[in-house]
Amino acid sequence: MRVKLYGLSTCPYCRMTKKYLASNDVEFDLLEVDLLEGQEREDAIATVKEISGGKSFPVVVIGDEVIVGFNKVRIKELLSL
Amino acid sequence: MTERPQRQMFEPGTTIDDLKEYMAPFVARLGYKFNTETEFVDEVLESELEILADTGDIYCPCRVRSGDPKEDAKIVCPCIPFFRDEFAGLRKCWCGLFILAGVEDGGELLGVMDEPDGDVDVPVFLASDVPEGQIRHVKVGKTSIAVAHAPDGFYALSNVCRHAFGPLGEGFMDGCHVMCPWHGWRYDVRDGTTDHPNADVRTYPTTERDGVVFVKMRISAKR
Repeated sequence: MRVKLYGLSTCPYCRMTKKYLASNDVEFDLLEVDLLEGQEREDAIATVKEISGGKSFPVVVIGDEVIVGFNKVRIKELLSL
Repeated sequence: MTERPQRQMFEPGTTIDDLKEYMAPFVARLGYKFNTETEFVDEVLESELEILADTGDIYCPCRVRSGDPKEDAKIVCPCIPFFRDEFAGLRKCWCGLFILAGVEDGGELLGVMDEPDGDVDVPVFLASDVPEGQIRHVKVGKTSIAVAHAPDGFYALSNVCRHAFGPLGEGFMDGCHVMCPWHGWRYDVRDGTTDHPNADVRTYPTTERDGVVFVKMRISAKR
């Protein structure tokens, strides 16, 4: 299943999420929104807002499911870890 | 022409200990404390200092700035007053830097995102901050409420008078009644009733635990 992580380079929960996915050998695409600039940044913020309803991080997309915040329980469930 | 005052930021050279010293007494008044996981607290504050060096203020490390100063002011740490209902549901602020004063082990909340549906006890202030005979306006999510300290305890009601929409939280207490500060309409804070027809206001259940006043409200805010 395709996993995408929208994060911020400054966010401790984003770091925890990355660590958790990596330690379970889950491959994921990472987009650190605060490191983007200009239009790219605005587009990323708009995408996060659209899929999560807000501007809080991390946002983890697993298949069709969107998880806002570091929710280990839910990630585990969706990826059958 | 008078010059518009400029917004003042934190001094360069601010340390983690400076932040702790300044934040702890403030969040205590909101019914919160620092997470009991001290290493995690330092990690979050370290991130805030990096953001301070970049931007001049201590924005939340877990949320993104929009560029609109008014919007972004809501994510300057501590941001609890802007997200009271949501955080009460999570029992912590979005980052987990702060947890409800009554939570013993903040470590249990890391990596947990339980957002209960329905009513949540939202901490609004310390009982000692609103002496008997006083009333105070508090915004919970998008809802404006007035919390009154009547002779037999705390009561919460809509902040908005049904006459001309005056702010009841700025009104005058008289026993169990509040007089609207605008034209003196009187409401019983215990049940929101008034002598004027069809003008009763909504009330919310309150509780007091460990010196903190809570108002039971339905969570409405979404990030």
